[in-house]
Amino acid sequence: MRLFGFIGLLLASAATPAISQSSPGDSAQGDVSVTIYNNNQALVQDVRNLTLPGGRSRQQFPDVSAQIRAETVTLSGPGIGIVEQNFDFDLLTPAKLMEKAVGQTVTLIRTNPATGAESRVRAEILAANGGVVMKIGDTIEVLRDDGLPVRVIFDRVPPNLRARPTLSITLEAKGGQVPTTLSYLTPGLGWKADYVTLFDEARQTIDVQGWVTLTNNSGTDYRNANVLLVAGSPNNGGGRNGYVQWPTGTIDDAGTESNDRERLGDYYLYPLAERTTVANAQQKQVSFLDVAAAPARKVYEYANGWLGSRDAASASSVLKFSTSRSGGLGDQLPAGIMRVYMRDKRGDPQFIGESRIEATPMGSSMSIRTGDAFDVKVKTVVEERTRRSSRRWRTKMRYEVTNARPEAVTVDLAQSGLWGDVRIEEESQASERVSADKVEWNLKVPANGSVTVTAIFDSRY
Amino acid sequence: MIISRFLALPALLLALQAVPLAAQQLVVSDRPEDVSITIYRAPGRGDAPISANWPQGYALITETRTITLPAGDSMVRFEGVSEGLFPESAIVTGLPNGVREKNRDARLLSPQGLVDAYLKREVSITRTDQATGRSRTQNVFITAGPDGGVIFESDEGFEALHCTGLPERMSFAKVPANLSAKPTLSILTTSERAVTARLTLTYLAAGFDWQANYVATVKQRQAGEKARMDLFAWLTVANGGNQSFENANMMAIAGEPNRERREDQVRPTGGALQIRCWPMQRTDQVPYNPGYLPAYPAPPPPPPMAMMDAAGETIIVTAQRRNGKMMEMAAPVAVVVAEQEDLGDLKLYRVPERVTVNAKGQKQVAMIVQPDVSYERIYVAQMSDYDEDSAAVDYILRSKNDIENGLGVPLPAGNVAVFENSFVGPLLAGEGVMQDRAINDEIEVEVGSSADVRLSVIPIRRTVRKESWRAVLSNARDHPVTFEMEIPYEISGRVKGIDTIDGVPTWRVTVPANDEATLEYAIKLR
Repeated sequence: MRLFGFIGLLLASAATPAISQSSPGDSAQGDVSVTIYNNNQALVQDVRNLTLPGGRSRQQFPDVSAQIRAETVTLSGPGIGIVEQNFDFDLLTPAKLMEKAVGQTVTLIRTNPATGAESRVRAEILAANGGVVMKIGDTIEVLRDDGLPVRVIFDRVPPNLRARPTLSITLEAKGGQVPTTLSYLTPGLGWKADYVTLFDEARQTIDVQGWVTLTNNSGTDYRNANVLLVAGSPNNGGGRNGYVQWPTGTIDDAGTESNDRERLGDYYLYPLAERTTVANAQQKQVSFLDVAAAPARKVYEYANGWLGSRDAASASSVLKFSTSRSGGLGDQLPAGIMRVYMRDKRGDPQFIGESRIEATPMGSSMSIRTGDAFDVKVKTVVEERTRRSSRRWRTKMRYEVTNARPEAVTVDLAQSGLWGDVRIEEESQASERVSADKVEWNLKVPANGSVTVTAIFDSRY
Repeated sequence: MIISRFLALPALLLALQAVPLAAQQLVVSDRPEDVSITIYRAPGRGDAPISANWPQGYALITETRTITLPAGDSMVRFEGVSEGLFPESAIVTGLPNGVREKNRDARLLSPQGLVDAYLKREVSITRTDQATGRSRTQNVFITAGPDGGVIFESDEGFEALHCTGLPERMSFAKVPANLSAKPTLSILTTSERAVTARLTLTYLAAGFDWQANYVATVKQRQAGEKARMDLFAWLTVANGGNQSFENANMMAIAGEPNRERREDQVRPTGGALQIRCWPMQRTDQVPYNPGYLPAYPAPPPPPPMAMMDAAGETIIVTAQRRNGKMMEMAAPVAVVVAEQEDLGDLKLYRVPERVTVNAKGQKQVAMIVQPDVSYERIYVAQMSDYDEDSAAVDYILRSKNDIENGLGVPLPAGNVAVFENSFVGPLLAGEGVMQDRAINDEIEVEVGSSADVRLSVIPIRRTVRKESWRAVLSNARDHPVTFEMEIPYEISGRVKGIDTIDGVPTWRVTVPANDEATLEYAIKLR
């Protein structure tokens, strides 16, 4: 401490206003590898060269994640043994400094407001409750009771208080320079995929670019790091009876193809090609997929609930494509958001909607709901509803599908809520019972025209 | 010993590897040369007005920028992008070797950020003597901060910043390289040789919205003629951001593109220094407060605004019957009208000339001009909303979106203000809401209610099986009115005057001027 004070004095005497210090941003990190999972979780491996004395020593590890899960820390290296690991997060603040100074002596510098003259006095801190009570000479005073300025100078800071939460490990070593690997888990780092899809309606194709978007809120920079992304969320209390991720409804048929992408168990790995710095409060995007002219087509879908009756409502426009090797994107798709663009009459791309997709196996057929169609609408009417017997009802439904577009469209019209035992007695066009609960009509609606479907249901309710 | 020397080698390699990263050259693109902005409505806003503070819709912004790339690796920083930028949606095209990385940094230059960057480093503290005006500068090291306060070490010992009551000022040698004034978007790219590249930067940004605002002017009609009005619509665009777009191509999109919830965004770091000193209560301050006091007393509340004195103002109202002639409203004459085109399943409206979209501003351009739209004025009611006391009936304007009725264009959602001519000039007759309507759709706009057209629905008799009702519609207007009442129940037997429209039994009747109409019917109870 004394020595440090001496250096400070030297620096002060140098008296040049420009301070030539090490530039802000030096890091104690070594060779860093960061493995980031989808569920806001990352594994950090940091190879640091430590110069250790022989025997027991306490080593501090600055520049670890500010959100480090200290219980997951492991340090390994040749010839070192761990005595104990400590993670101290009692922060050094003015209030803590005063609290811990109770019983100690500090220096007070009072400034005369009229003359600016300074006077020094030593004071013993007796208590710091509500106000600071001190003993100066033989009198007891409250700090700054008169409201005049007083500088309080502490001789030392308490040893266990830190500027940052600090990881320290007590080791036993033979001494010398040792490469050590520090590894830990931390929240605050996450990633997802973002897809840019350009749809060409005339050619019925899509160009898809996939970007990995990683975010760092962990409070620390990772310099020149090797980054590996894992498409998957390692078990966060899942299991057979656990929380099930709600499907997004974008996978029509799950694929069964695989490729030579690296895997870790059931997860796919996306290593970044080059080392990169993942800075705190940064969102970084790196390309991982680029496919041109994959076939795609657009359909319209409308689903009506049981006894649903409403004025003309827009059908959803849905983009269908495959992730198969032949005639598709030819890759797995990590979970993320797919944004769809289309060119306007001048050829400029315009945004036409987006949809969240879940992690999708290769070879899947997919349908992305981009939005509601302005020109394709469905009107549903309960035309008649009569009681047949004490157990059955007869319901006549009418569906009017209108198309104000200058070309013919295909609309998949679904009626759900059929509960397994609802029968269709009569229908103006053949339907397909896709499940016990749902029937679907595949309707070709002419350009600037409309199609009406009627059906009579025999139901319990 | 040999082992340790061998292992020291990777560290050396690493140090070498760090060099190319540091050798990135910074290229700053400070503003776009050309900008196109396509505005999308707030999803699910419904009939609510555009939020003036921060519009809830979004925009697709396409900027053209020219940069000079040096040979080798470079970092291109984009300045002057919209503050609502969604960084994950940014697309950059036009680079010789594409984009290696896109970054958006949100470590902000702020008091907190400075202390954070200079932790364990040297800064200087200047104290000015208020009596003499003399100032003294001292070089100190920051020991702790910025959470909860700043503690620094001088050659005298440890002190806490701003806990002394003296004016104290911290100064820093330079701005840390990784802090920026605003969140910034940058890319990493490589070029074999120095080139001038024309880039296109496309991104989605929050803080925009638009809607259609219809002005319907009812035309004077002769007896026997169909009711007609002139329909005019403004394309009303709002920009809630602090960025203006000058001389821009402007477009608006009608329809409902799907939008997903955003998540896992980086939060900007930085802010004001929150300094909490040790307890500073004095002996004269009771009651005892165990909490910590802020370093400085809170500023006094601003003085109350001067109240407007309205007492001196008098408004004199005079009544005067004009000469009985109707004053016609001149519909706005639009020179520039947005052109409509189809974009997939959406409708795109393009303003044919370049315009300036101001920061924190609203702009209006004509988008629909349809004179002579024929419509029907219909009084509508739903049986269950009325009882034996006669109550006013709402009226709607109904038409069909086709060429026969003078329309046949897509009509995006928005407010409709209906003006009717009177002897004092055109007056607002009511305001309603239009939904998105495609060509050939039926259009209904609820405008207001009439105290002259009243309905009462009186129960007459009830048995176990059915309930008998009498509905009476009175018309005090001096011309016939058309009335529709929905009866959302099963009607017993066949009643003259009730037709089933879209599955709902409906009484449709035209009531002569100054007359009334009555309907008796029964509904099945089971």
